[in-house]
Amino acid sequence: MVSASAYVPAIVLLPFVSFIVALFGRDNLPKRGAYGGIAATAGSLALSLWVLVSVRNGAAFQETYYTWATGVGSQPWGLTFGALIDPLSALMLVIVSLVAMLVHIFSLGYMNDEDERDLPRYYAGLGLFTASMLGFVIADNLLMAFMFFELVGLCSYLLIGFHFREPGPPSAAKKAFLVTRFGDYFFLVGVVAVFTTFGTAAFAGTESFPALAEAALNGEATVWTPGGLEVSTWFTIVGLLILGGVIGKSAQFPLHTWLPDAMEGPTPVSALIHAATMVAAGVYLVARMYGFYVLSPTTMAIIAFVGGFTALFAATMGVVKRELKQVLAYSTISQYGYMMLALGSGGYVAAVFHLTTHAFFKALLFLGAGSVIIAMHHNEDMWDMGGLKDKMPVTYWTFLAGSLALAGIFPFAGFWSKDEILYEALIHGLDEPLILGAYVMGLLAVPVTAFYTFRMVFLTFHGEPRSSLARDPHPVRWNVKGPLSVLGVLAVVTGGINMVPVQKVLGIEGIDYLHLWLDNHWGGIEGLSSHHYAELNPYSSQYLFGGEVSTVLAGAAVSLGLALGGLALAWALYNVADPAEHTDKLGGLKALLYNNYYQDEFQVWVADNTRAVAGSADTFDQGVIDGVVNGVSSVSLLSSERIRRIQSGVVSNYALLLTLGLTTLLVVFGLIGGWF
Amino acid sequence: MSLLLQGTATDWVFSVRALLPVVLLALTGLVVFGINSLRPDGRDNKLLALTSIAGTLSALGVAIWYLLAGTGQPTHGGAISLFSGAIIVDGLGLFFTAIFTSVATLVIAASYDYFETDANPASFYSLLLLATTAMGLMAVSNSLATVFVSLEMASLPSYALVAYLKDNRGSVEAGLKYFLIGAVSSAVLAFGISLVYAATGSLLLPDIAAQIGSVGDLNGVLGVGIVMVAGGVAFKTASVPFHFWAPEAYEGAPAPVSAFLSSASKAAGFAVGFRVFATAFQPALDIGIDWGLLFGILAVVTMVLGNFAAATQTEVKRMLAYSSIGHAGYALIGLAAITAGASATNATVMGAAMAHLFVYGFMNTGAFLFIAMVERWGVGRTFEDYAGLAERAPMASLAMAVFMFSLAGLPLFGGFLSKYVLFLGAINAGFWWLAAVGAVTSALSLFYYSRVVKALWLEDATTDLDAIGDAPTGLYAAVIVAGVVTVLLLPGFGPVIETAEAAAAALFA
Amino acid sequence: MSWLAIGALALVGIAIPLAMIVVSALLRPAVPESGKKTTYESGEIPTGSGRVQLNIQYYMVALLFVVFDIETVMVFPWAVMYRSALEAGVPLSQALLPLLAFIGILVVGLVWAWRVGAVQWTRSIRAATQKTERQNT
Repeated sequence: MVSASAYVPAIVLLPFVSFIVALFGRDNLPKRGAYGGIAATAGSLALSLWVLVSVRNGAAFQETYYTWATGVGSQPWGLTFGALIDPLSALMLVIVSLVAMLVHIFSLGYMNDEDERDLPRYYAGLGLFTASMLGFVIADNLLMAFMFFELVGLCSYLLIGFHFREPGPPSAAKKAFLVTRFGDYFFLVGVVAVFTTFGTAAFAGTESFPALAEAALNGEATVWTPGGLEVSTWFTIVGLLILGGVIGKSAQFPLHTWLPDAMEGPTPVSALIHAATMVAAGVYLVARMYGFYVLSPTTMAIIAFVGGFTALFAATMGVVKRELKQVLAYSTISQYGYMMLALGSGGYVAAVFHLTTHAFFKALLFLGAGSVIIAMHHNEDMWDMGGLKDKMPVTYWTFLAGSLALAGIFPFAGFWSKDEILYEALIHGLDEPLILGAYVMGLLAVPVTAFYTFRMVFLTFHGEPRSSLARDPHPVRWNVKGPLSVLGVLAVVTGGINMVPVQKVLGIEGIDYLHLWLDNHWGGIEGLSSHHYAELNPYSSQYLFGGEVSTVLAGAAVSLGLALGGLALAWALYNVADPAEHTDKLGGLKALLYNNYYQDEFQVWVADNTRAVAGSADTFDQGVIDGVVNGVSSVSLLSSERIRRIQSGVVSNYALLLTLGLTTLLVVFGLIGGWF
Repeated sequence: MSLLLQGTATDWVFSVRALLPVVLLALTGLVVFGINSLRPDGRDNKLLALTSIAGTLSALGVAIWYLLAGTGQPTHGGAISLFSGAIIVDGLGLFFTAIFTSVATLVIAASYDYFETDANPASFYSLLLLATTAMGLMAVSNSLATVFVSLEMASLPSYALVAYLKDNRGSVEAGLKYFLIGAVSSAVLAFGISLVYAATGSLLLPDIAAQIGSVGDLNGVLGVGIVMVAGGVAFKTASVPFHFWAPEAYEGAPAPVSAFLSSASKAAGFAVGFRVFATAFQPALDIGIDWGLLFGILAVVTMVLGNFAAATQTEVKRMLAYSSIGHAGYALIGLAAITAGASATNATVMGAAMAHLFVYGFMNTGAFLFIAMVERWGVGRTFEDYAGLAERAPMASLAMAVFMFSLAGLPLFGGFLSKYVLFLGAINAGFWWLAAVGAVTSALSLFYYSRVVKALWLEDATTDLDAIGDAPTGLYAAVIVAGVVTVLLLPGFGPVIETAEAAAAALFA
Repeated sequence: MSWLAIGALALVGIAIPLAMIVVSALLRPAVPESGKKTTYESGEIPTGSGRVQLNIQYYMVALLFVVFDIETVMVFPWAVMYRSALEAGVPLSQALLPLLAFIGILVVGLVWAWRVGAVQWTRSIRAATQKTERQNT
């Protein structure tokens, strides 16, 4: 039987081929490259599912395909490309290829039917992005991950700036690129640090850097540290350096500012890249090397706190936004905050769970928003909408499913995953004030999330149409409704893969599939199981009200209650025939929220005030580095001029110089050799 | 050729067969004379060019055939000694003959167009063929007497070739300078040979080697002689301080002649140098005559001076002349990195130098032939004048870009591998400083080589380029063939380096 | 020590001519006269400038002469030993043929030079005009 493992490279290469085809095929392709992209991503999806099934049958593996550089010395490092297929990456492969395929189909409706120009460029970008993202997912070492991490960043830049003839997108693309690059800079330093510390960047195996780090902490191995630094301190520093890239890519505070602007890109791109997959790369990376992070309590606490803070912080900004996609952008930031909170508080499975559910319901919401935007002739202002419920039922019902999931309403997917995150944060946070603080912020974000989500739903779909566009929306076709329906179903049922609360309350064993899956229940790679991570976990679990079951129930009740509260408030304020803006009631807060806490201004201020630093770097570059280079070249040119002057053109001078040269040589070598 | 491989060196038929490439070249030269004698007033440019090319190609073919068949190589009975040991046919001789004949073929093809309007091209072809013949002899000379005679045989036609454009002041001046410096250098060489003879009592290279151990007090005389012989080699290879003729001669000479001199003539000098120093003077290293260091110093000075001077030139041809001096420095590493008793590394580094000369033969010839084409078009000589040529002559300009980058040693063309192997060989032999200087000067060379490419491809034409209408067949073919070979030598470098190292190893065995 | 002798010889070699010049400069009477400064032309009164251009043909003839001069140098030793070589049993192909080939090559060269007009006395324009001038006077 042919093993699925042999086809893992094909998962990555198929979208890459579609990229090449779209790149060179240009306008000659059917549907401008869309079919190629759909076929490629469908192929990737099929192979990913096959891989998923084979991992389910215990065929997880790690394989090095290509060593592109080998060092010298007694313990040479190899820089390699390879695949690490374990339950985590198999799951992620399916998510990425599924969403990518649905987005490709949706693009038929959003881009092709709208007669956009330069579509081959668009599909080439999508193809390259999908390939890079899948490559990132299967990466078996940190350097390879970094390379694909950068590639997805590049694709994000290209796709945000797709409408580069308009003023907004290019600027947004640049911002996204620069802000994420700022984080990636730390990531790169971290990669180098990992290499120098451990001599390897592999994720899995006994010689992997998480394993070596664990051994080093137990005193079983020695690793290099700068200046004899304490091993644990150094691991914290390395972890934080890599976290820089994560914070940039997953749009966590304070590097979240690029994501709302990235909404300038086409909506399918927002769905694929800026909601479901690329933004998840940061979280995925932490999960991938969780065995390393879990060793450093400080880093864990920072991750949790940053996550919790971002969850609340971004949610509050989402409350006042007028544009549909802006609300979704802030909700994305907020939701990734939840995942970081889960990771930081030891809830590895919870984070992956929320990553999965969020990928589906947020992609759904973005595609739903895309559908609305098509209908509204690319007007995104929610105050111009209203009453779309009856005119576009498919969009409405699927969007509603996604919204319920996002708001965390029972029994939609988001409820289960968000609940588990909060539960993990709670039980681990009772002894850890930082985690507890993060938990509280996460909890407070719940009603806010529910509020802005349903404010969005009510303003868009309910009430009376508030503009002529809303009265007569542009119809959408199957290629929009199809992906919406698929994702709508997933948003409803995905929670079923991990019914932990049900299991705990009702005592039904074996319905926490995701837990079993990530715990290598059906086989996996040694050292990469959630069980292993839980053992390394620096936290102890505490329960309220005297027991696990009661804690579960209390936590679920609180978060569901808060969510319903937020929903109810939104209902009261906006589910009326002619809703009014209530933002004035916020007083001074309104300006603060509208301006996103002045984060953009703050970053500009920082950039302006660090110009001196950049300036001195520039001076150093121009003065010292270039100076040396220019100095060398001018010295060369000067001496060349001298040499040129020897060549006087007078033949007797030549004869003289020749004779003198020969005589000098004779004398020198005579003296050296002792001939005389 | 089984007879050839086994026969004893007594009868002249055998000698002719062993020396077939050289004999073919000489005969072709005579045939060209004959054709011209029969029709002194008919120009017969095409016939003469074709005859000459037939001669050089057949000589090249025979040389390659012998190389492949193993003639004169250790696998087939070893070197063939002729005329009481004055001449020796072996891998080194055949390898260099292949270089000379390849270059000569390209140059003749180019000359067909370059001398299209010349009154009497026959004398050009015959001079070129006779010079090539002499170079072939240089490569197989096994005695200092034949070395001297063949070197003079090669030099005299070269002087005439440089001055071939009788009405061109630059050409005549260059020829005269070349001749005068050549005369001085020949005197030095002859004096050196006489001193070596005085010390060792023999002119045959193996006999010299055998006698060096017993020179006793005469080691000073021998040392002076060896340095002077090195001077003679330095003249032929255009190495510092015997290089002064080169920029003037290359610049003033007709460009095909510059190509011939800077590629074939230089290689011939190295052929003599490699054989004489490896065969005859190697034992001298043991008695305090450190000619390895001498060549090391010459190599460094030559690399530095050649490349630095090239960097400030304003005329492309003169820049190439200096770059050709710089390349002599690279090839000198092949002699400089020789140490007493280290046969394996010696053979490796000398083989690498030979392979570099082989690759260099194509890329440098091609570059000069491109200049020949530009001269024919009547475009100016400076970098500015070359601006925008790529628009009018894209194929030739592409080939020129290949030559330039290959000369600089960029890793897409043959020149990269040969330089790489050469520097690596030097490092392995313990001469990292030679490799370092070579690498640094190569980096510098990229600066001035890329100026040509930049002018050709990136800059807009400053002059009227309407004259570039015609595409001279022979010139174009020669440039393109040289370009293709330069590119093909990247994948095809393996056989070249293997042959060269085997030939060098036979010398040190 | 052998180098010392060479050095002494060189010293003497330079010293003798120098000494002769110095001694004669000390002994001779100083009588400045314009006739002493003129070029010595075998007692004739010099005419024209010192720089004379000769016809290139002189060089051609000289070159051809050198060719045959060298030929003679090569043939002479051969001729001396030819008979004794034959008597010693050296086959004709080795005793005679190489020399014939050598001379044959020279002949080819000579024929070529002859055919392309190297030995023909060309008339330069200047020489022709000078000739007509002489005839007219």
